[in-house]
Amino acid sequence: MKTIDFFVNGTEISVTCSPSKTLLEVLREDAGLTGSKECCGKGECGSCTVSLNGLPVCSCLVLAGQVHGENIITVEGIGTPENMDPVQQAFMDEGATQCGYCTPGLIVSARSYLNSIGHLPGLDEIKQALGGNLCRCTGYTKILKAVQTAAEKQLTFREL
Amino acid sequence: MYVSEIDMLSPHSLLECLYLLENDKASFRLLAGGTDAVVRMKEGKWQHDCWLNLNNIDELKFIAIEKDEIHIGPLATHSEIISSPLLQDHADVLVQASREVGAAQMQNMGTIGGNIGTASPAGDTIPALFALGASIELTSITGKRQVSAEDFFIGPGKTVAFPNEIITKISFKIRGKHDIGIFQKLGPRKAQSISIVNVAISLSMKEGTKECLGGRIAFGSVGPTVLRAKKCEAMLSLGELSNDMISNISSVAWKEVMPISDIRASASYRRDMASALLERGLYRLMKRWADNERKPL
Repeated sequence: MKTIDFFVNGTEISVTCSPSKTLLEVLREDAGLTGSKECCGKGECGSCTVSLNGLPVCSCLVLAGQVHGENIITVEGIGTPENMDPVQQAFMDEGATQCGYCTPGLIVSARSYLNSIGHLPGLDEIKQALGGNLCRCTGYTKILKAVQTAAEKQLTFREL
Repeated sequence: MYVSEIDMLSPHSLLECLYLLENDKASFRLLAGGTDAVVRMKEGKWQHDCWLNLNNIDELKFIAIEKDEIHIGPLATHSEIISSPLLQDHADVLVQASREVGAAQMQNMGTIGGNIGTASPAGDTIPALFALGASIELTSITGKRQVSAEDFFIGPGKTVAFPNEIITKISFKIRGKHDIGIFQKLGPRKAQSISIVNVAISLSMKEGTKECLGGRIAFGSVGPTVLRAKKCEAMLSLGELSNDMISNISSVAWKEVMPISDIRASASYRRDMASALLERGLYRLMKRWADNERKPL
């Protein structure tokens, strides 16, 4: 057992657990943030994507001992139901969900990607950025449309 | 042994890490990005006492140029390699290979040192390192040694590194304007897939012509380790790299590889695809070369 201190969604938390516990389990069981989901557990599907120091990573493959002192943003930290992020709003407006299991991961990936660029991304660029997130319900059409809408909104907002 | 019983030590300096490896009685596994290591732990394949987490060792994180050599720290992530202007200019084949490792999530965590240490025959950066003629520095508490990338791997998951050694540097000679490279991969889908076959090509061209002065070709995922295609390489400098010449060279590729049939593809498919990928790679490379030559400086 080790005590690990790190920041989740801007708040410092301290958990005492085995350092070999995955970050995903720590977030869900110890921090009570059940937005991030476990699906494949091997880094193939991206359902567990969280942002580690601003970069999207699979939290099912990050061990608790590796995040001591680091900064984590989960889907809960991106927006709340009352105050949604443009990406979340666009997912709602475009109807880009079906069962919703992959959605938190997709939102974190999309948010991290949009933060890292300063231009309006093309469809291929969005596909490349979301290549690590799988959705098994629907096609990806609405998801890609939602990210495009969010990107447009964000860019006009910045210009204003 | 439960997963929860595996402890973790996070040394803050290389010396501390080497000291632990040399003197501690516990069985260690090195943890860099964890994108492979954690999967093995979950599958129960690795039942060690303790992780040695390398992420706090800042002296292993660098991408630098020194005289005529490029030095890469083993903890450089694939994302850092992709976005490095230095490597984009001088090691295009490695940048392309790193771009093919998994998707964004894997590239942000995975490191080049981890890719080498895992020594998967399908590891994407390894053929690129073969093509660049890279050398790998191993350090233990008693000293350092240099091993060329080709001598480093001895089988699937097996390398010449001793348990008390860690990779501390990857280096290769800087490449000129006339050295060009390309990485080609065949996977079940575009993003986030393990290679069925991959190939890295690096050529030294004669200015203003389609003649090649020499080069290296390395295939991945078609043998117990990455393999250099020496017969194909010998043919590169026989004459102008015309489309006919390219297809002649590629038709020899199947003799160079020794693939197995597994869950991803059959041996005969892999043999055919090795030829096809080499042909495609050489063709694209020569097209790029011709386009660049035509561009006014």
